[in-house]
Formats: sequence, C-alpha cells, structure tokens
Amino acid sequence: MVALVVVLALIETVNSLVAPSRAPSDKDWAAAAWLVRGQFRAGDLIVAAPAWADQLVRLRLGDLLPVPVAGRMDSARFGRIWEISQRGARAADTRGATLAATSRFGHLTVKRWQKPAATVTFDFVAEWRKASMTAMRSGGVAVPCTMTGQRFQCAGASLGPELLEVDTTLRNGLGVEPVEGVTLALEFPGVTLGRELMVAAGLHNVWLRKSGDGKVRLRVLANGGELGTLAASSASGWNLHGFATEALAGKIATVRFEITVDKAHARHLGFAAEARNP
Amino acid sequence: MTDDALPPGARTRWRREWLLPLVLVVATSSWMLAVEGSQGIGRDESQYFRAAERYWGWFESVWTNLRQGNPAKAFTRAAVDGTWDDNHEHPPLMKILYGVSWRLFHTCKCNGPQRVLHPIPIRGRHVTLPLFTRESTAFRFPAILLAGLGVALAYWLARCWLKPTASAVAAVLSVAQPHYFFHAQISCFDAPITVMTVLVALAYWKSLRSPRWGILCGVFWGLALATKHNAWLFPIFLLVHYLWIRRGDFRRLRPPRIPLAFVSMAALGPLLLFMLWPWLWHAPVDRTLAWIGRHMHHEHYNFEYLGRNWNLPPKEISLKLLRVTFPFLSTLFTLPVTTMALAAVGTVSFLRRRRADSLKVIMEEPAAALRPSWLRPGADVDRAPGVFLAIQIAGPIAIIALPSTPIFGGVKHFMPAFPFVCVLAGAGAGWLIAIARSLVTAPRLRRALPAALAGLLCAPAVAETHRSHPDGLGFYNLIAGGFAGGASLGMNRQFWGYSALPMLPFIVAHRPASNRIYWHDVLHDAIIMYTRDGRLPLGMGDVGVGEQVLAQSDLGIVILEKHFTVYEGLAWQAYGTTQPSRVYTHEGVPFVVTYERRKTQPPRQEIFPP
Repeated sequence: MVALVVVLALIETVNSLVAPSRAPSDKDWAAAAWLVRGQFRAGDLIVAAPAWADQLVRLRLGDLLPVPVAGRMDSARFGRIWEISQRGARAADTRGATLAATSRFGHLTVKRWQKPAATVTFDFVAEWRKASMTAMRSGGVAVPCTMTGQRFQCAGASLGPELLEVDTTLRNGLGVEPVEGVTLALEFPGVTLGRELMVAAGLHNVWLRKSGDGKVRLRVLANGGELGTLAASSASGWNLHGFATEALAGKIATVRFEITVDKAHARHLGFAAEARNP
Repeated sequence: MTDDALPPGARTRWRREWLLPLVLVVATSSWMLAVEGSQGIGRDESQYFRAAERYWGWFESVWTNLRQGNPAKAFTRAAVDGTWDDNHEHPPLMKILYGVSWRLFHTCKCNGPQRVLHPIPIRGRHVTLPLFTRESTAFRFPAILLAGLGVALAYWLARCWLKPTASAVAAVLSVAQPHYFFHAQISCFDAPITVMTVLVALAYWKSLRSPRWGILCGVFWGLALATKHNAWLFPIFLLVHYLWIRRGDFRRLRPPRIPLAFVSMAALGPLLLFMLWPWLWHAPVDRTLAWIGRHMHHEHYNFEYLGRNWNLPPKEISLKLLRVTFPFLSTLFTLPVTTMALAAVGTVSFLRRRRADSLKVIMEEPAAALRPSWLRPGADVDRAPGVFLAIQIAGPIAIIALPSTPIFGGVKHFMPAFPFVCVLAGAGAGWLIAIARSLVTAPRLRRALPAALAGLLCAPAVAETHRSHPDGLGFYNLIAGGFAGGASLGMNRQFWGYSALPMLPFIVAHRPASNRIYWHDVLHDAIIMYTRDGRLPLGMGDVGVGEQVLAQSDLGIVILEKHFTVYEGLAWQAYGTTQPSRVYTHEGVPFVVTYERRKTQPPRQEIFPP
C-alpha cells in the first residue's frame, strides 16, 4: 500500500511538472495555421478539436471563418474540412468523412477530411427576402406582414436574419419572437427542392431560455403538405431534422414555415433550413 | 492524548504545538503574498473592496464626530445605513478587516489624481505603514493571514488525533488545493468561512471535555456568523455529532445534557453578529430575516457542469440525478489525487481505530477520565472522531448535492468540508509512515523517513497548486486530465471575470482613440482598483454592461464561460470579425478573448453560393 501511494504521488508530481509543456505552443499554432492557410480553398471549413480551442483557431485563421461559416447550421455542405486537433480529439463536423492528409506540428495535428458535400438547392436564411410573411389569429384572416429594414413586422411579431445563440453555440438563422394565439407563416415560393429539406430550430439567448418556459412549434409544409413539426423549448437545444423530399426533388415548390407558441414570454425562436441533395 | 503522543519536554512540546504551526502560517501567507499579484480581481472581490473602504470610512466618521463633540451622529440610522447598506447581503467581519488593513498598509497615492477613484472622501495623504505597493494587496492581506491561520488550525485539529508529522501533512494539504488556494488569497469570504469552520469545529471538539472551549465555541461561531452565512449550518452538523455520541442517553430514556458549547453559541453567536454588524442595529429582526431570505432564495446563476449550462433547478429525474453528482464529481476532479488516496487510507485507519494494532495512528483520550457534566458533556463517552469528521465532510457536500441548491459557486460552496478531508489524509499519511518505519531497521533511515515520506506525499498537492495559479478555478486534476481535460469534460472554467488581468497590457497598448471599451464581466469597481493599482491608466473607457452596449465599443473582451457565448456573437457582429486580437490561455485552454473593431467593415460574406 505504501508503494502504491508513493508511486501515485510520484506520477502526480511528475505529471504536474510536465503537463504545462504538453499544451500546444504558439509555434505549433503558427505552423499549423501556415499549412492550412497555404492549402485553403473557398468552400473549405476549418474546425477545432476539442471545440474549446475554437478561439485559438480563429485567432490565427479567423479571416477564413466569416460569420456565416462560423455560425453554420451544420457542416453538410463542406466537402473539405481542416481539423486542427490536440490530445487525440476529433471534431463532430468530421463524422462520416475520410481522412485525406495528416500533419503534426508539435502538440497539434492538422487533418484534412474529405466527404461528399451536400448540394444546397435553396438556402432559406440567405434567401429570406424572397419570402412573404403573414400573421393569423385563430379563426381570423391572414394579415400580411411588412418588411421594415432587416425584418418582417406584424401583429407584435418580428422576423429577420440574426446571429443567434442557441444552446450556447452561435448559429446563423432567422430569428422570430412569436406571439401567443397567432400563427406566423413564412412562405417561400419558387423553391428548388432537393432530396432532403434540412431544418434546425432552437431558442435564442441563455437569459431568455432561463426566464421563460413556453414551447415554440415550427411546422414545415411543402406545396401545402405537412412534412413535420419541430418543437423548441428551453432545454431542446439546436434541434436538427432532415425531412425527406425525394418525391419533390428537382421540382419547384412552395415551402411554408408556421410558427406558434403556447407561452410567448421570453421566447425567441431561431431556425435555419436548407433544401439540398445530400 | 496518549502518553506516546506527548513530547518528552516542554521545549519539544512548544516546538511541536506552536513553532511548527507558526512556520506553516508564515510559509502559507508568504506563498500567497508572493503570487497574489498575478491573480485578477473578480466581480465580488471588487465590490468587497469598495464596501471595505466605505466601512472604514464609517469608523473614521465615528472618530471625527467624537472629536467634534457629536459622537451620536455616526450612529443615526441615516449615517449607519448610508454606509452599511452597501453590500449588506453579506455580513461585515472580513470587509471590516479588509478596510482596516487597507488603511494601515497601503502605499498612499490617494491625494493625487487617483483621489476621485475612492468611494470615501480623501482629505489628505494617509499616514500608513506602506507594506504593499498595490492597494489591492493591502485589502487582501487579512484574507491571506487568515488562510495562514487556517493551516495552523488544520494542524491543531489533526493533532487531536494524530502525531505531529501526520498533522503537518494534513495542514499542508489543507492549503495545497488549487481551488482553495485561488479563494484563499483574495478579499472574499469563501476561504475565511472555511477557516472559521475549522475554528468552530475545533472549539466544539475540545469543549466536549473543557468548559473554556465551550465559551470560546460561542465566540468563534459569532465570528463565523459575521463572516458568511454558511455559519448557519454549523450548529446542525455539531448537533448531529453530539446526539450520536450521547446516543446511550436515549437508550436509557434520559435526555442528553445541553452542552455549554451550544448554550454559548446560542447566547454569544447572535450577540457578536449584532455587535459587529451596524446594518442590523436599527432593525435587527427585519434585517436578519432579510439576510436569511436573500440566501434561502438565491438566484441560480449560470454554471457549466459536464457540458451543460445549469441555471435552474432541474425538473426531469435524469437531470436531477445528474445534478446530485455535482459536488462528488467536482471533488473527484479537483482535489489532488494523492490527497484523496491518502484520505481513503485515513478513513480506513479511523474505521480501525478501536482495533488492537501495533501501527495504530489515531490517538484519542479515553472516556471517563473526567467527571461528566454539562460543562464537559463528552467526558464519559467516546467522542467518535470518525463520525465527527464524516459529518463535517458530508454536511456541506450534502447541502450542495440537493438538486434545488444553486451550484454557481462551484467548489467554493462546499470547500468547508475539505480541511476535514485533509485530516483524514493526514491520518492516511501517518499510517503509511508507520508502515514504512516498521519495514526499516537502519536507525538513521527510520529517523529520516517520516519527514521524507511526508514531503513526498505533500509534493503532488503543492505542485498542482503551483501549476494552477492564477487560474485555480479552471484546474482539474490527474483524473480529469488537467486544465484541458476539464475543458473537454465540460467542467466550469471560471467565474467572476477575474481572468481579465493578463489582458490589461494589451488593452492599454490598443486603447482605441474613441476610448470606448467593453469590459464584459469585469465590474467597474474592478476597473477602478486596477487603475488604483497602477495597472490601468486613469480614464480608461468603460461603455458599461449588457448586450446592447457592446456595439458602442471599439475594443472589448469576452470572458469565456459557456453561457457567455451570446456576448462573443455580439462582438462578431459589432466588430465585423470572428477573429480575436488576443486570447489568454492557461495550458492551452482559452480563458479570455479580446476583439477590436475592424477599421472597415468587410462586405457581407456568404458561405459560398448555393
């Protein structure tokens, strides 16, 4: 027993002295960034593994990670992913991808992952101005909303593109503050559909999530037919769901998002959607 | 104490009982004074600085009014509330000490341009004993001294049952804990209340066979009440132990005697609290109830645990169960591993206390040596030291394990359990030393072995504590994988915005022409103290707090806590970039980032056309 504890004490002491030097140095980061920057192509994604090192990746390569990329809905549209990893971690964005190249720089590993990129046929966040929006009280008529600056406004509700914080991660999406007893409908005509309609939804802002407890529902329809509904509550996070649209693939359709809420206090829904061929 | 524990001569006894603890006090306080300057100022600490100086200002006004022949003026409700309303959610003892220390020991630059930064009128240059160049160090000095005293108290507590070497191990381990060390050197209350816990526990233990300690127990509890509200719980833990050791009375259908310690606590505790806290003077009942109500219904702040952001009591049963694990897993991941291993060994040694064993390390005065009475209510029974330690350890942890209890303070909220864990660790070390000595025959080696082994067993805790500074809050141990391992496990990295200190030189060098700076979680009181300490020039801008004001700034910091992601998003939008200008890391783990507004906003960027 004495020997066991003594060995433990020695291991812990040595680890304590050595561990700080196992962190990647500035030189490691500079070399890793140099490699990525040299081989980076438009449309590539750069990620950190573990995710907590994200600020360090952006410190060196932030100019290659504009807000739309850093706040992406998911990584399906990226065929080449540069992963700067440490301690054997792997980024979730690389799931299903094939390792194409690896280089080590001290305590950092740069990996290039390759996967078939999803072809996006329609990006609902980027094309939000093509939509029209209405508000309808239960049993009432649909009232058209007006576009004021960067947002649709009506019936006490407003919707527009935002950088959202959902589940403590930043996401680009359409942000909307729903109203009780009102169905907000955002309708996109002329959408070229792919085999899949990927929709993600969640509640924005940590303080609002703490303050309210209502549930927001996002109903998704294509050409009048319901594809499904996503629910967002304080604990639901960034809820990503792919709706199969194979029957409508390649066709032009009208896609409609209907937003309702049971208790509107402190609810701010964020959602994003892409029609795509995975 | 048994005969073999008693030193042969008074000189040796003095060395063991007084000189060794004194050395530990000096070493601990010196260690902290040597390093506290690299630890930033947290939200709470900055408010305590302000309150401490204002409290000192009130004492000054008492003296001034006395000299002016109007002694009652400072004691009017308006005068008392005018000062003591400030930060009245916490009792005043430590803040009074911080204020007195500041007044005595700072190097006064108060009558220069910095005069405006003080919360009390500065009428001239202060005559002081200028021990410290930074004013914040002068404020922190009492906390640092108290932390030193805490080590001595841990030693004396351990000496109730252990030999000097094992007790010294317990004492060293009680301070060599990264999270405790973080709290022990700052002007807050979490380390002081941990010290008070040991003080009251020690007095209670001794009071079971000594009336003098019974009286002192009440005095110490009063001081603890005036330190932090954790003290409310002390009598419960002590009562559980007392009922346990007197369980024989219940079997005989006789109520146990009410011990002097409890009488003293009931009488002197509230009295001392009242005397020390002027805020209570004009409305004692209402304000005591308000103080209790404030902490009974405390808001659940945000806190990261196992990758989740917790800010409300969980409703689902699975989350409730996960939440219950918080203090246990946090302990497992933050105490040095060797300390925990020693505590496990020590627990076994306490369990085997009554067995006939040549290697016995737990020494306890036998019962029935004294005549029992309410003055010595533990004289005729075994005092059950193992149960005593177990209650002191389990009590604070159990409170924080309740799913309805907020966890925003992390380890600091159950830190009062740890000195008792360290006594167990000391017992473990004592047992290992005894085993090792029994295996060695060479006399010189036998003599040298206890100190050598004690040093070896303390080395990992000291090394881990040294390694963690100044970011002890983000420290995780060998089991968790260090700072990086803790971050990967989704454990809390920091709170209070203290970690901005390493960013200050960069912020000063990159101060925007507009002087519009966003300080995020760094309170204005902290910016003022950084300025008074000479770490920021006078007049550094501060656009204020909140989500809206960030856009008005040209340079800003974001403290990296899980729930603060929203502020990083606001910085991206305000400054037109996702690229920080600076990242402060500890062992590669980011703690704070600085962003600067781009000179020209880049064109709207798309990912790439669909």
